[in-house]
Amino acid sequence: MNLGFVVGVIGVLILSHAAYSTIQYRGLLKIMEEEFSRPPMNVLLELIVGLALCMWAALTFPGKFLSIHPDSDENRTVSLPDSSEFMIFNHRGRLFPPQIDMKF
Amino acid sequence: MVTKTEETELNQFEIQVENGGGGAWEYLCLVRKLKLRRSEKVLKHGSSILNDPRKRSALGPDEWTLNEQVAIAAMDCQCLDVAQKCIKVLQKKFPGSKRVGRLEALLLEAKGLWGEAEEAYSSLLEDNPLDQAIHKRRVAISKALGKPSIAIELLNKYLQLFMADHDAWKELAELYLSLQMYKQAAFCYEELILSQPIVPLYHLAYADVLYTIGGIENLISARKYYAATIDLTGGKNTRALLGICLCASAIAQLSKGRNKEDKDATAALELHSLAAAAVEKEYKQKVPAKLQLVSSVLRSLKI
Repeated sequence: MNLGFVVGVIGVLILSHAAYSTIQYRGLLKIMEEEFSRPPMNVLLELIVGLALCMWAALTFPGKFLSIHPDSDENRTVSLPDSSEFMIFNHRGRLFPPQIDMKF
Repeated sequence: MVTKTEETELNQFEIQVENGGGGAWEYLCLVRKLKLRRSEKVLKHGSSILNDPRKRSALGPDEWTLNEQVAIAAMDCQCLDVAQKCIKVLQKKFPGSKRVGRLEALLLEAKGLWGEAEEAYSSLLEDNPLDQAIHKRRVAISKALGKPSIAIELLNKYLQLFMADHDAWKELAELYLSLQMYKQAAFCYEELILSQPIVPLYHLAYADVLYTIGGIENLISARKYYAATIDLTGGKNTRALLGICLCASAIAQLSKGRNKEDKDATAALELHSLAAAAVEKEYKQKVPAKLQLVSSVLRSLKI
Protein backbone atom coordinates (compact mmCIF):
# COMPACT_ATOMS: atom_id res chain seq x y z
CA MET A 1 0.00 0.00 0.00
CA ASN A 2 2.76 2.36 0.87
CA LEU A 3 4.54 1.92 -2.47
CA GLY A 4 1.32 2.64 -4.36
CA PHE A 5 0.76 5.79 -2.35
CA VAL A 6 4.31 7.05 -2.92
CA VAL A 7 4.14 6.29 -6.65
CA GLY A 8 0.79 8.09 -6.84
CA VAL A 9 2.22 11.17 -5.17
CA ILE A 10 5.21 11.13 -7.57
CA GLY A 11 2.82 10.78 -10.53
CA VAL A 12 0.73 13.76 -9.39
CA LEU A 13 3.88 15.83 -8.87
CA ILE A 14 5.12 14.98 -12.39
CA LEU A 15 1.76 15.95 -13.89
CA SER A 16 1.70 19.26 -12.05
CA HIS A 17 5.26 19.94 -13.14
CA ALA A 18 4.26 19.24 -16.74
CA ALA A 19 1.32 21.64 -16.39
CA TYR A 20 3.61 24.36 -14.99
CA SER A 21 6.09 23.82 -17.84
CA THR A 22 3.30 24.16 -20.41
CA ILE A 23 2.12 27.41 -18.86
CA GLN A 24 5.67 28.77 -18.88
CA TYR A 25 6.09 27.66 -22.52
CA ARG A 26 2.91 29.50 -23.49
CA GLY A 27 4.20 32.59 -21.74
CA LEU A 28 7.43 32.28 -23.70
CA LEU A 29 5.50 31.93 -26.97
CA LYS A 30 3.41 35.00 -26.14
CA ILE A 31 6.61 36.99 -25.76
CA MET A 32 7.92 35.64 -29.06
CA GLU A 33 4.44 36.13 -30.63
CA GLU A 34 4.10 32.66 -32.07
CA GLU A 35 1.17 30.25 -32.29
CA PHE A 36 0.71 27.69 -29.53
CA SER A 37 0.06 24.38 -31.23
CA ARG A 38 1.22 21.77 -28.77
CA PRO A 39 3.55 21.57 -25.78
CA PRO A 40 7.22 20.66 -26.40
CA MET A 41 8.30 17.03 -26.69
CA ASN A 42 9.82 16.73 -23.25
CA VAL A 43 6.58 17.94 -21.66
CA LEU A 44 4.63 15.35 -23.68
CA LEU A 45 6.99 12.64 -22.49
CA GLU A 46 6.57 13.86 -18.92
CA LEU A 47 2.78 13.72 -19.34
CA ILE A 48 2.88 10.12 -20.54
CA VAL A 49 5.15 9.07 -17.67
CA GLY A 50 2.92 10.88 -15.14
CA LEU A 51 -0.18 9.20 -16.62
CA ALA A 52 1.36 5.75 -16.35
CA LEU A 53 2.47 6.27 -12.74
CA CYS A 54 -0.90 7.67 -11.65
CA MET A 55 -2.81 4.83 -13.31
CA TRP A 56 -0.61 2.20 -11.67
CA ALA A 57 -1.04 3.86 -8.26
CA ALA A 58 -4.83 4.18 -8.69
CA LEU A 59 -5.12 0.46 -9.33
CA THR A 60 -2.73 -0.63 -6.57
CA PHE A 61 -3.47 1.78 -3.73
CA PRO A 62 -7.17 1.09 -2.94
CA GLY A 63 -6.48 -2.59 -2.25
CA LYS A 64 -8.39 -5.69 -3.28
CA PHE A 65 -11.20 -5.10 -5.76
CA LEU A 66 -14.58 -6.69 -4.98
CA SER A 67 -16.15 -9.12 -7.38
CA ILE A 68 -19.23 -8.00 -9.32
CA HIS A 69 -20.24 -11.31 -10.89
CA PRO A 70 -23.46 -12.49 -9.25
CA ASP A 71 -22.31 -16.08 -9.55
CA SER A 72 -18.80 -15.74 -8.13
CA ASP A 73 -18.17 -17.42 -4.80
CA GLU A 74 -18.14 -14.16 -2.84
CA ASN A 75 -21.48 -13.02 -4.19
CA ARG A 76 -23.38 -16.23 -4.75
CA THR A 77 -26.17 -16.55 -2.17
CA VAL A 78 -26.14 -20.11 -0.92
CA SER A 79 -28.79 -19.83 1.74
CA LEU A 80 -30.95 -17.15 3.21
CA PRO A 81 -30.59 -16.24 6.89
CA ASP A 82 -32.87 -18.22 9.18
CA SER A 83 -35.67 -15.91 10.25
CA SER A 84 -34.58 -15.56 13.85
CA GLU A 85 -37.09 -12.79 14.52
CA PHE A 86 -39.97 -15.19 13.96
CA MET A 87 -38.47 -18.25 15.58
CA ILE A 88 -40.69 -20.28 17.85
CA PHE A 89 -39.54 -22.35 20.78
CA ASN A 90 -42.09 -25.15 20.92
CA HIS A 91 -40.30 -27.46 18.52
CA ARG A 92 -39.34 -31.06 19.12
CA GLY A 93 -35.82 -30.08 20.18
CA ARG A 94 -37.06 -28.78 23.51
CA LEU A 95 -37.36 -32.33 24.77
CA PHE A 96 -33.57 -32.81 24.57
CA PRO A 97 -31.91 -29.93 26.41
CA PRO A 98 -28.11 -30.17 26.47
CA GLN A 99 -26.45 -30.32 29.89
CA ILE A 100 -24.89 -26.94 30.51
CA ASP A 101 -23.94 -25.62 33.94
CA MET A 102 -23.32 -21.96 34.48
CA LYS A 103 -20.84 -20.94 37.10
CA PHE A 104 -21.37 -17.21 37.15
CA MET B 1 -27.66 -13.67 2.66
CA VAL B 2 -25.06 -16.27 3.24
CA THR B 3 -22.57 -16.34 0.38
CA LYS B 4 -20.49 -19.33 -0.59
CA THR B 5 -17.23 -18.00 0.86
CA GLU B 6 -19.00 -17.17 4.11
CA GLU B 7 -20.48 -20.65 4.22
CA THR B 8 -17.10 -22.35 3.78
CA GLU B 9 -15.60 -20.04 6.40
CA LEU B 10 -18.42 -20.88 8.81
CA ASN B 11 -17.99 -24.61 8.29
CA GLN B 12 -14.24 -24.33 8.84
CA PHE B 13 -14.79 -22.41 12.07
CA GLU B 14 -17.37 -24.91 13.21
CA ILE B 15 -15.05 -27.87 12.66
CA GLN B 16 -12.18 -26.03 14.33
CA VAL B 17 -14.21 -25.05 17.36
CA GLU B 18 -15.86 -28.45 17.74
CA ASN B 19 -12.49 -30.19 17.77
CA GLY B 20 -11.17 -28.05 20.57
CA GLY B 21 -9.19 -25.50 18.60
CA GLY B 22 -9.60 -21.82 19.52
CA GLY B 23 -11.68 -19.30 17.65
CA ALA B 24 -14.95 -19.69 19.54
CA TRP B 25 -15.44 -15.93 19.73
CA GLU B 26 -14.90 -15.49 15.97
CA TYR B 27 -17.38 -18.29 15.32
CA LEU B 28 -19.96 -16.62 17.55
CA CYS B 29 -19.41 -13.27 15.81
CA LEU B 30 -19.86 -14.91 12.41
CA VAL B 31 -23.06 -16.62 13.49
CA ARG B 32 -24.36 -13.31 14.84
CA LYS B 33 -23.42 -11.47 11.65
CA LEU B 34 -25.06 -14.01 9.34
CA LYS B 35 -28.09 -14.31 11.66
CA LEU B 36 -28.00 -18.10 11.66
CA ARG B 37 -29.75 -20.38 14.07
CA ARG B 38 -27.05 -22.62 15.53
CA SER B 39 -28.40 -22.68 19.04
CA GLU B 40 -26.70 -25.76 20.48
CA LYS B 41 -23.22 -24.75 19.37
CA VAL B 42 -23.70 -21.12 20.35
CA LEU B 43 -24.91 -22.24 23.77
CA LYS B 44 -22.03 -24.63 24.32
CA HIS B 45 -19.22 -22.33 23.23
CA GLY B 46 -20.80 -19.11 24.45
CA SER B 47 -21.37 -20.49 27.92
CA SER B 48 -17.81 -21.84 28.02
CA ILE B 49 -16.56 -18.30 27.30
CA LEU B 50 -18.90 -16.78 29.90
CA ASN B 51 -17.95 -19.32 32.56
CA ASP B 52 -14.26 -18.41 32.30
CA PRO B 53 -13.73 -15.05 34.03
CA ARG B 54 -10.50 -14.37 32.13
CA LYS B 55 -12.10 -14.79 28.72
CA ARG B 56 -15.14 -12.86 29.86
CA SER B 57 -13.13 -9.80 30.86
CA ALA B 58 -11.12 -10.08 27.62
CA LEU B 59 -14.32 -9.39 25.68
CA GLY B 60 -14.89 -5.97 27.15
CA PRO B 61 -18.19 -4.35 26.11
CA ASP B 62 -19.01 -7.27 23.80
CA GLU B 63 -19.74 -9.36 26.89
CA TRP B 64 -23.32 -8.06 26.98
CA THR B 65 -23.98 -8.93 23.33
CA LEU B 66 -22.65 -12.39 24.05
CA ASN B 67 -24.98 -12.65 27.04
CA GLU B 68 -27.92 -11.78 24.81
CA GLN B 69 -26.85 -14.27 22.16
CA VAL B 70 -26.36 -17.06 24.68
CA ALA B 71 -29.70 -16.24 26.34
CA ILE B 72 -31.58 -16.62 23.06
CA ALA B 73 -29.69 -19.81 22.19
CA ALA B 74 -30.45 -21.22 25.64
CA MET B 75 -34.14 -20.50 25.17
CA ASP B 76 -34.04 -22.29 21.84
CA CYS B 77 -32.43 -25.34 23.46
CA GLN B 78 -34.84 -25.16 26.41
CA CYS B 79 -32.08 -24.54 29.00
CA LEU B 80 -34.25 -22.01 30.77
CA ASP B 81 -32.09 -21.59 33.88
CA VAL B 82 -29.10 -20.62 31.73
CA ALA B 83 -31.29 -18.10 29.94
CA GLN B 84 -32.61 -16.78 33.26
CA LYS B 85 -29.08 -16.27 34.58
CA CYS B 86 -27.93 -14.42 31.46
CA ILE B 87 -30.99 -12.16 31.57
CA LYS B 88 -30.42 -11.44 35.27
CA VAL B 89 -26.82 -10.39 34.50
CA LEU B 90 -28.09 -8.09 31.76
CA GLN B 91 -30.80 -6.66 34.03
CA LYS B 92 -28.22 -5.80 36.66
CA LYS B 93 -26.09 -4.01 34.10
CA PHE B 94 -28.89 -2.26 32.14
CA PRO B 95 -31.85 -1.74 34.45
CA GLY B 96 -35.06 -0.61 32.79
CA SER B 97 -33.82 -1.32 29.28
CA LYS B 98 -36.35 -2.11 26.53
CA ARG B 99 -34.01 -4.63 24.94
CA VAL B 100 -33.76 -6.57 28.21
CA GLY B 101 -37.54 -6.26 28.59
CA ARG B 102 -37.91 -7.92 25.20
CA LEU B 103 -35.61 -10.73 26.31
CA GLU B 104 -37.70 -11.27 29.42
CA ALA B 105 -40.88 -11.52 27.37
CA LEU B 106 -39.04 -13.94 25.07
CA LEU B 107 -38.23 -16.06 28.10
CA LEU B 108 -41.93 -16.14 29.01
CA GLU B 109 -42.61 -17.37 25.47
CA ALA B 110 -39.98 -20.08 25.81
CA LYS B 111 -41.55 -21.22 29.09
CA GLY B 112 -44.85 -21.61 27.27
CA LEU B 113 -46.67 -18.86 29.17
CA TRP B 114 -48.27 -17.37 26.09
CA GLY B 115 -50.78 -15.17 27.94
CA GLU B 116 -48.16 -13.47 30.09
CA ALA B 117 -45.87 -13.07 27.08
CA GLU B 118 -48.66 -11.40 25.12
CA GLU B 119 -49.33 -9.04 28.04
CA ALA B 120 -45.64 -8.21 28.35
CA TYR B 121 -45.46 -7.40 24.64
CA SER B 122 -48.59 -5.23 24.78
CA SER B 123 -47.17 -3.23 27.66
CA LEU B 124 -43.88 -2.83 25.79
CA LEU B 125 -45.83 -1.73 22.72
CA GLU B 126 -47.62 0.97 24.70
CA ASP B 127 -44.31 2.66 25.35
CA ASN B 128 -43.06 2.41 21.78
CA PRO B 129 -45.82 1.43 19.34
CA LEU B 130 -43.51 1.28 16.34
CA ASP B 131 -41.10 -1.37 17.60
CA GLN B 132 -40.66 -3.82 14.74
CA ALA B 133 -39.27 -6.68 16.79
CA ILE B 134 -42.24 -6.73 19.17
CA HIS B 135 -44.76 -6.85 16.33
CA LYS B 136 -42.87 -9.77 14.88
CA ARG B 137 -42.82 -11.61 18.19
CA ARG B 138 -46.60 -11.30 18.42
CA VAL B 139 -46.83 -12.95 15.01
CA ALA B 140 -44.50 -15.66 16.29
CA ILE B 141 -46.73 -16.26 19.32
CA SER B 142 -49.75 -16.84 17.06
CA LYS B 143 -47.64 -19.13 14.93
CA ALA B 144 -46.53 -21.10 17.98
CA LEU B 145 -50.11 -21.44 19.21
CA GLY B 146 -50.98 -23.06 15.89
CA LYS B 147 -53.18 -20.22 14.61
CA PRO B 148 -51.66 -19.36 11.25
CA SER B 149 -54.66 -17.31 10.13
CA ILE B 150 -54.28 -14.90 13.05
CA ALA B 151 -50.54 -14.80 12.41
CA ILE B 152 -51.24 -13.91 8.76
CA GLU B 153 -53.63 -11.14 9.80
CA LEU B 154 -51.12 -9.63 12.23
CA LEU B 155 -48.32 -9.92 9.69
CA ASN B 156 -50.42 -8.21 7.01
CA LYS B 157 -51.10 -5.30 9.35
CA TYR B 158 -47.40 -5.10 10.16
CA LEU B 159 -46.46 -5.10 6.48
CA GLN B 160 -48.83 -2.23 5.78
CA LEU B 161 -46.65 -0.17 8.10
CA PHE B 162 -43.24 -1.57 7.24
CA MET B 163 -43.41 -2.56 3.60
CA ALA B 164 -39.67 -2.94 3.10
CA ASP B 165 -39.09 -5.74 5.61
CA HIS B 166 -37.84 -8.69 3.60
CA ASP B 167 -37.88 -11.18 6.46
CA ALA B 168 -41.53 -10.41 7.10
CA TRP B 169 -42.47 -10.94 3.44
CA LYS B 170 -40.58 -14.24 3.48
CA GLU B 171 -42.36 -15.33 6.64
CA LEU B 172 -45.73 -14.35 5.17
CA ALA B 173 -44.97 -16.40 2.05
CA GLU B 174 -44.09 -19.43 4.16
CA LEU B 175 -47.26 -19.03 6.23
CA TYR B 176 -49.37 -18.90 3.07
CA LEU B 177 -47.60 -21.96 1.73
CA SER B 178 -48.31 -23.85 4.93
CA LEU B 179 -52.00 -23.09 4.37
CA GLN B 180 -51.71 -23.95 0.65
CA MET B 181 -52.77 -20.45 -0.42
CA TYR B 182 -50.39 -20.51 -3.36
CA LYS B 183 -51.55 -17.39 -5.18
CA GLN B 184 -50.97 -15.23 -2.11
CA ALA B 185 -47.59 -16.86 -1.55
CA ALA B 186 -46.72 -16.09 -5.17
CA PHE B 187 -47.61 -12.44 -4.53
CA CYS B 188 -45.25 -12.34 -1.53
CA TYR B 189 -42.42 -13.82 -3.57
CA GLU B 190 -43.09 -11.27 -6.32
CA GLU B 191 -42.63 -8.50 -3.74
CA LEU B 192 -39.36 -10.08 -2.64
CA ILE B 193 -38.10 -10.39 -6.22
CA LEU B 194 -39.00 -6.77 -6.91
CA SER B 195 -37.06 -5.51 -3.92
CA GLN B 196 -34.04 -7.82 -4.25
CA PRO B 197 -33.77 -9.08 -7.83
CA ILE B 198 -30.19 -10.32 -7.41
CA VAL B 199 -30.96 -13.00 -4.84
CA PRO B 200 -31.52 -16.21 -6.83
CA LEU B 201 -33.33 -18.05 -4.04
CA TYR B 202 -36.41 -15.85 -4.34
CA HIS B 203 -36.62 -16.59 -8.07
CA LEU B 204 -36.29 -20.28 -7.25
CA ALA B 205 -39.03 -20.21 -4.62
CA TYR B 206 -41.32 -18.24 -6.95
CA ALA B 207 -40.73 -20.75 -9.73
CA ASP B 208 -41.53 -23.59 -7.33
CA VAL B 209 -44.82 -21.94 -6.35
CA LEU B 210 -45.77 -21.32 -9.98
CA TYR B 211 -44.96 -24.91 -10.86
CA THR B 212 -47.16 -26.06 -7.99
CA ILE B 213 -50.11 -23.94 -9.08
CA GLY B 214 -49.87 -25.50 -12.52
CA GLY B 215 -51.53 -24.54 -15.78
CA ILE B 216 -49.60 -23.90 -18.93
CA GLU B 217 -48.94 -20.16 -18.53
CA ASN B 218 -47.68 -20.69 -14.99
CA LEU B 219 -45.46 -23.52 -16.17
CA ILE B 220 -43.93 -21.33 -18.86
CA SER B 221 -43.32 -18.55 -16.30
CA ALA B 222 -41.87 -21.09 -13.88
CA ARG B 223 -39.45 -22.23 -16.56
CA LYS B 224 -38.39 -18.61 -17.10
CA TYR B 225 -37.74 -18.11 -13.40
CA TYR B 226 -35.79 -21.37 -13.13
CA ALA B 227 -33.70 -20.11 -16.03
CA ALA B 228 -33.19 -16.78 -14.20
CA THR B 229 -32.00 -18.69 -11.12
CA ILE B 230 -29.52 -20.64 -13.21
CA ASP B 231 -28.29 -17.38 -14.70
CA LEU B 232 -27.79 -15.78 -11.29
CA THR B 233 -26.03 -18.75 -9.73
CA GLY B 234 -23.86 -19.63 -12.72
CA GLY B 235 -25.49 -23.04 -13.08
CA LYS B 236 -24.53 -24.23 -9.62
CA ASN B 237 -28.08 -24.68 -8.34
CA THR B 238 -29.17 -28.27 -9.04
CA ARG B 239 -32.74 -27.59 -8.02
CA ALA B 240 -33.20 -25.02 -10.76
CA LEU B 241 -31.73 -27.38 -13.38
CA LEU B 242 -34.09 -30.15 -12.34
CA GLY B 243 -36.92 -27.63 -12.28
CA ILE B 244 -36.32 -26.86 -15.95
CA CYS B 245 -36.44 -30.54 -16.88
CA LEU B 246 -39.69 -31.03 -14.94
CA CYS B 247 -41.27 -27.90 -16.40
CA ALA B 248 -40.34 -28.90 -19.93
CA SER B 249 -41.86 -32.35 -19.52
CA ALA B 250 -45.02 -30.96 -17.87
CA ILE B 251 -45.46 -28.36 -20.63
CA ALA B 252 -45.01 -31.03 -23.28
CA GLN B 253 -47.67 -33.18 -21.63
CA LEU B 254 -50.15 -30.31 -21.33
CA SER B 255 -49.68 -29.06 -24.87
CA LYS B 256 -49.95 -32.41 -26.64
CA GLY B 257 -53.14 -31.48 -28.42
CA ARG B 258 -52.33 -27.85 -29.11
CA ASN B 259 -50.04 -26.52 -31.82
CA LYS B 260 -46.98 -24.85 -30.30
CA GLU B 261 -44.99 -22.26 -32.22
CA ASP B 262 -41.90 -23.86 -33.63
CA LYS B 263 -39.26 -21.53 -32.23
CA ASP B 264 -40.51 -21.86 -28.67
CA ALA B 265 -40.50 -25.65 -28.97
CA THR B 266 -36.93 -25.84 -30.29
CA ALA B 267 -35.64 -23.44 -27.60
CA ALA B 268 -37.43 -25.48 -24.95
CA LEU B 269 -35.96 -28.72 -26.24
CA GLU B 270 -32.45 -27.31 -26.26
CA LEU B 271 -32.86 -25.86 -22.76
CA HIS B 272 -34.17 -29.17 -21.47
CA SER B 273 -31.31 -31.22 -22.90
CA LEU B 274 -28.70 -28.72 -21.68
CA ALA B 275 -30.16 -28.74 -18.17
CA ALA B 276 -30.28 -32.55 -18.13
CA ALA B 277 -26.64 -32.73 -19.24
CA ALA B 278 -25.62 -30.25 -16.50
CA VAL B 279 -27.46 -32.27 -13.83
CA GLU B 280 -25.77 -35.48 -14.93
CA LYS B 281 -22.36 -33.81 -14.93
CA GLU B 282 -22.86 -32.52 -11.42
CA TYR B 283 -24.01 -35.91 -10.12
CA LYS B 284 -21.05 -37.60 -11.79
CA GLN B 285 -18.76 -35.19 -9.97
CA LYS B 286 -20.31 -35.26 -6.53
CA VAL B 287 -22.32 -38.47 -6.08
CA PRO B 288 -21.34 -40.99 -8.79
CA ALA B 289 -23.19 -43.76 -6.97
CA LYS B 290 -26.54 -42.19 -7.77
CA LEU B 291 -25.74 -41.26 -11.36
CA GLN B 292 -27.63 -44.19 -12.86
CA LEU B 293 -30.78 -43.38 -10.90
CA VAL B 294 -30.67 -39.77 -12.00
CA SER B 295 -30.03 -40.70 -15.65
CA SER B 296 -33.01 -43.01 -15.74
CA VAL B 297 -35.26 -40.34 -14.19
CA LEU B 298 -34.09 -37.73 -16.68
CA ARG B 299 -34.64 -40.16 -19.56
CA SER B 300 -38.24 -40.72 -18.46
CA LEU B 301 -38.70 -36.93 -18.43
CA LYS B 302 -37.54 -36.51 -22.00
CA ILE B 303 -40.12 -34.98 -24.33
